[in-house]
Amino acid sequence: MAAVLEFDNLTKEYRNFPSRKRLRALDQFTLKVEQGEIFGFLGPNGAGKSTAIHLAMGFMRPTHGSGLMLGDPFGTPRTRRRVGFLAENVALYHRRAERLVRFYGALNSMGGSYLKKRAREALEAVGLQDISGRNVGKFSRGMLQRIGLAQALVNDPELLILDEPTSALDPLARVAVREFLLQARDQGKTIFLSSHLLSEVELVCDRVAVLHRGKLMRMGKTSELLQAGEQLEIVARNIAISAFAGAVVRNGTVSFVVPANEQRTALGMVWQSGGSVVSVNPVRRSLEQMFIEVTSGKEAHKE
Amino acid sequence: MKPVVLIAVNFVREQRWPIFVLLLWVLLLAFMGLVTDIAREREDLLFIFKQVAVYVVAFSIFFGGSAIYNERKSRRILAVLSKAVARQQYLSGLILGVTIACGIYCFTLGLTGSWTLGQAGFPVSTVWFFMACLLSACMLAGTIALMFSTFLNPFFAAGATAIVLGLPAIASHTVAIRWGYSVPVYVLTANILQASYKSPGPLIWFPVMLALAETFVFWILGAWIFSRVDVAVAVE
Repeated sequence: MAAVLEFDNLTKEYRNFPSRKRLRALDQFTLKVEQGEIFGFLGPNGAGKSTAIHLAMGFMRPTHGSGLMLGDPFGTPRTRRRVGFLAENVALYHRRAERLVRFYGALNSMGGSYLKKRAREALEAVGLQDISGRNVGKFSRGMLQRIGLAQALVNDPELLILDEPTSALDPLARVAVREFLLQARDQGKTIFLSSHLLSEVELVCDRVAVLHRGKLMRMGKTSELLQAGEQLEIVARNIAISAFAGAVVRNGTVSFVVPANEQRTALGMVWQSGGSVVSVNPVRRSLEQMFIEVTSGKEAHKE
Repeated sequence: MKPVVLIAVNFVREQRWPIFVLLLWVLLLAFMGLVTDIAREREDLLFIFKQVAVYVVAFSIFFGGSAIYNERKSRRILAVLSKAVARQQYLSGLILGVTIACGIYCFTLGLTGSWTLGQAGFPVSTVWFFMACLLSACMLAGTIALMFSTFLNPFFAAGATAIVLGLPAIASHTVAIRWGYSVPVYVLTANILQASYKSPGPLIWFPVMLALAETFVFWILGAWIFSRVDVAVAVE
């Protein structure tokens, strides 16, 4: 598949004034986001996520390295016409919602009845169609985030770059955004999603990258990253709970975790004691567990 | 061109209250025209006209020096520059916005000045020539302030602009008059300040043309600097 967004060995350093001390926000960062996927971009505060996004959008210039967005170098205005961007802590002009969305659409050289139609569709997609005449200055933070999403959608973008799109949303709105993201992917759009809401990322993202102190720590398919290494969960019936260390009873079955290389022995013990095996599955951890492991565990301290 | 116009109109819209406050000064001149005996108080009227005219140059520096800073601080710049808007288009939009804001003022002042000073015997054509001088001075001053504001905060940008505009004025008095033309904002405003009923001043368009040409040069310089500046505010 073609890479829609490509960071190639990007480094970004900030210089403090007046000490001129250098702070490396992004360190030889390389990443490819492929067409038609939802890519989760994770990392603790200060990891460099927003810096990477701002470099991709052309808001900043890299210290070293380069990158491509939809085949063009970062910061090419004509490329941004095909991109939708929602910034963290979105800030917009105070005017009526529909007019605001049309203003941002017009900046992308849209106009006429097509722009009006797209603005209405974008407002509908984020559930603000009923208050499209209200001034954005009177919006709550959640509504601001939704109107921010609407302005990102108005140009029907091929690539959506969303920096914390659901952080201020209520649970219902979050579900709506999640469904919207899945629909957008089904339509062939690519979504680059930076979020702290790991449960959301776990539910929608095809691939995930974890950034820590400017370095890429982990990247891969969400399902693969969530497998807890070499452990299996065995669920069995008619066995004594005391036969296996750490076993628990659930709905009349006993479940316990064993290392993969002890799977055969454990199953033998179940059968020998007259029990029957219900299921054997690789143990999945949550994204939160993986995130904590990567950002505060041994890997993080290697840096 | 469309994004430039949209950004300019949006700038004027965002600055509508400062523009409104500015226009109150013009209303003051109109009020004086209504309540005074124009034939007797004509010198006072001309003095107020000159004073009110020069204010707009200071405001153009204020508008130009704070525009980018305000947009960056509020983070609104991110949503605008995430669209198909090049940095030089963004800067052009702001320059056009400053020009429109000052143009509204100059036009209103021109109308009021024509009415009040015209009745007092001042040539109306000179009033409008002064408005052209004033608008070109505002464009140049605003563009210089905007150029400095691409890498300085508004306070320092205003200070740097004052130096760039002030040095030619000092040099024109201490070295040679022609130095005043190096950045002709002083020459243009001096035209207005030195006018009198007896000698309204010649209609020489050279400084106006020079100001427009220098506006273009400072726009190029500002756009070049701005295209190399990180506009995103660190939020992490």
